[in-house]
Parts: sequence; structure tokens; C-alpha cells
Amino acid sequence: MLRFLVSLALGAVVGLMVGLYLGWVQFPLEYINSPMSALDPKYSDEYSVMVAQGFQADADAVGAVQRLRVLGVENVPEYVFQQAERYITNSRSPLEIQALIALSEGLGRSSPLFDQYRPVGVP
Amino acid sequence: MTTPEVSARPPRSSRYYRPRRPISIVAVILGIIAGIAGGLYVAWGVAPVEEVDTAPWQLNAQGQADYIVAVMLAYSQDSDLNKAVTRLLELKLEGDPIQHVAEVACNLARAGYVAEPGGDRAIRAMMNFYQLQGRVGCAEQVMPVNAQPSPTFDLLIASTPTLPPPPTKTATPDGFSTGVTPTPTVRVAPTIAPQQAFTIVRLERFCDADFPGIIELYVHDTGGAPLPGQRARVRWNEGESLFITGVKPGRGADYGDFDMTPDISYTVDMPGLSDPSDVMISSGCFDATGAQTRSSYRVVFRPAF
Repeated sequence: MLRFLVSLALGAVVGLMVGLYLGWVQFPLEYINSPMSALDPKYSDEYSVMVAQGFQADADAVGAVQRLRVLGVENVPEYVFQQAERYITNSRSPLEIQALIALSEGLGRSSPLFDQYRPVGVP
Repeated sequence: MTTPEVSARPPRSSRYYRPRRPISIVAVILGIIAGIAGGLYVAWGVAPVEEVDTAPWQLNAQGQADYIVAVMLAYSQDSDLNKAVTRLLELKLEGDPIQHVAEVACNLARAGYVAEPGGDRAIRAMMNFYQLQGRVGCAEQVMPVNAQPSPTFDLLIASTPTLPPPPTKTATPDGFSTGVTPTPTVRVAPTIAPQQAFTIVRLERFCDADFPGIIELYVHDTGGAPLPGQRARVRWNEGESLFITGVKPGRGADYGDFDMTPDISYTVDMPGLSDPSDVMISSGCFDATGAQTRSSYRVVFRPAF
């Protein structure tokens, strides 16, 4: 009987480890019906860029702030400003940077870093 | 010849002749099964992984609608169809993603999203997107096509200028005799047409292998009669082209057309007389006979008043 119980416990320990590996690593629980605030940073960055492009088209700062609030951001102007600086630092697409700069400046935040990305008028 | 005693002994493969294993295989298997079940229960039920990398397809309905609105706003700015569709595909929508945009636009329009900041423009951007791809939704009914506020004009109904009457033989007093200098003040009211003198009453995408990748333009008068000699302009990122209606024999006095380059965004207007149209892009499609071709557009202008 002791031999049976020891074997059972040994198997249970191995099985528990396998089960945790499967449940946490290999087949982790995938959530649906998540709010925008849970969006992966990669996608929330992309979302912000899209909103900034919309701002470039309609110059509607109130609408842009409203759309970014769903990300759960407390200070939207600061959030956009930080993202614009981060995009500049990481040498992201100039078009995306310009959109973020436009929105950031539309919300009252500017930086000397932005200067090199301003459209240059052709004489 | 074996003795009965010898033949009664158990065979050599009997468990009684094998050495006893230190563990029970059956118990280990039972333990593993129970352990896996317990591990999965803990991993999925008790302490699931923290949600840190939510993708757009995992968003709730409201989140997906917000995401689609952002995709459409970006599209309205860059007119990059491929990027817009790629972003929509990230939502892993069931069925046609472009038709889904139409349904979301419909729901938003009905839910009063128009009243929110930027809502009107967002829904129009969505309508523009799916209409250009040949889809229909109910947002058109909820939001009339020309609901955007249009500038108002004070219409001056000027009488038709008439030529001054020919001089008669009747003597007219001259200025010297009366001391009054005649100052003929014939003032003709300016007849410059105001902006939006013409408006687009129809803009549709169609597929016809006989007419691949063209913009067909028609200009009618208020009664629907053709108007020849009207100037129209097609514009794209790097240039523009002017053409005049009625110069193509056999296609009607109100007709003009323009050859589109694939995947370039175009707008069409009547210079100084109308607002530009929505963006048009010629892309691959199949016509009614199943022939592969490129999409074309039909645009009809009419006087706005």
C-alpha cells in the first residue's frame, strides 16, 4: 500500500508540473471581451497613431482626446507627447512621427525634438 | 516426460518469478492524470496568467468599434487601403471585414455616436471606406449623404442683362445744354457661380472588363439633360488632369472619362464649381461575367440649386 501511495504522489507531482506548464505556457488562458485599456502596448501605440492621423485630417483635438481616453490614459497630452518622443528616439516611420507631433502640438505639448520633423515649405 | 509436480509449477513469466518494481506504474499513471488535471485547474481557474498582451481581436464589442473607427480615420488621412484592410484583419472578424465596417457604422449612427466629438466625421469616413469597396450599410439611411453643413449663399436673382436699346432719331438733350453729365450706370450683377454650384449626386464603383480602371464622369442640368463643355478635374497625390465633357463621340454630350492607375487615390471635382469627391482607388475585381478586371467609378454632377 505504501508503495502505491508513494507512486501516486510521485505521479501527481510530475502531472502537476506538466499541467501548470500546459496551462500557463503552452495553452494559456486567452481572454476575450477585453476593454481597450488592456490592449497590448504595440497595439495601443498603433491605435494612438491612427487617432493622430485622424487629427491630421480633421484637426479635432476634442475628438482625438475622447478617442484616446478609452486606453485608460489619465493625461492624454502627456501620453501623446511621450509616444512622439519615443517614436523619434526609436526612428519610427516619419509619417507616424509627424502625425503624433501634430496631435501633441495640437494638445499643447511641443519639443525641440519635433523641429526636424516639420514639413518644409518649398520656396 | 515431466512429472505432475513439475508441470504444476507456474510458468517462468509469472509475476511470482519477476522482481518487484520499486514503484507502481498504475499509481504513477493515475497520479500523473490527477496532477495534470490539478495543474490545469490551477493554471486556468485559480491563478490564470495575467492579461498583458491583449490583441485587437480580443477586445469587447465597444473596443473593436473604437479600433475600427481609428482605422477608418487613419484611412481617411492616408488612403492606404492595404494598411486599412490589414488592420481590420487583426480583429479576426467573422465574414467580410469591410461589410463589418458597414455594420459598425450603422450601429454607431443609430446609437447617436454622431453627436459625440468627431463622431460625424468618423462615421462618414467609414461610409466612404465601405462604399468605395462596393458595400452598403444602413448608415446611409441614418445619415443623409449631404447632411454636412453647407455654406449658405444669398442668392441674387439677377434679371437677364439686355442690350441697351438702339439709338433713336429722337434728339436727346446733351450734357452741355443741361449742365448735367450723363452717367450711364449699367451694372450687371456678377454671374460668377458660387462654390458648390454643382454637387455629386451619384458616385458608384463598378466592374466591367470592357471599361477597366476608368472614371466615367457625367454632368447633367437640373432636369437631367446632358451638359456638354463642362470642365472637370481629376486630382491625385502628384498631379491633376483636366478634361471636358462631350468630346467623346458616341458616349454622350455629358460624358468625360479618365484612365486610373491601379492603387492610386483620386478625387474628382469641377474646378471652382464643386467640392471634391470621395477618394477613388482602382483595384482588382471580377465583373458580371466572371472576368478579372480593375474597378472603375461613375460620377454624376448636377447643379446644386
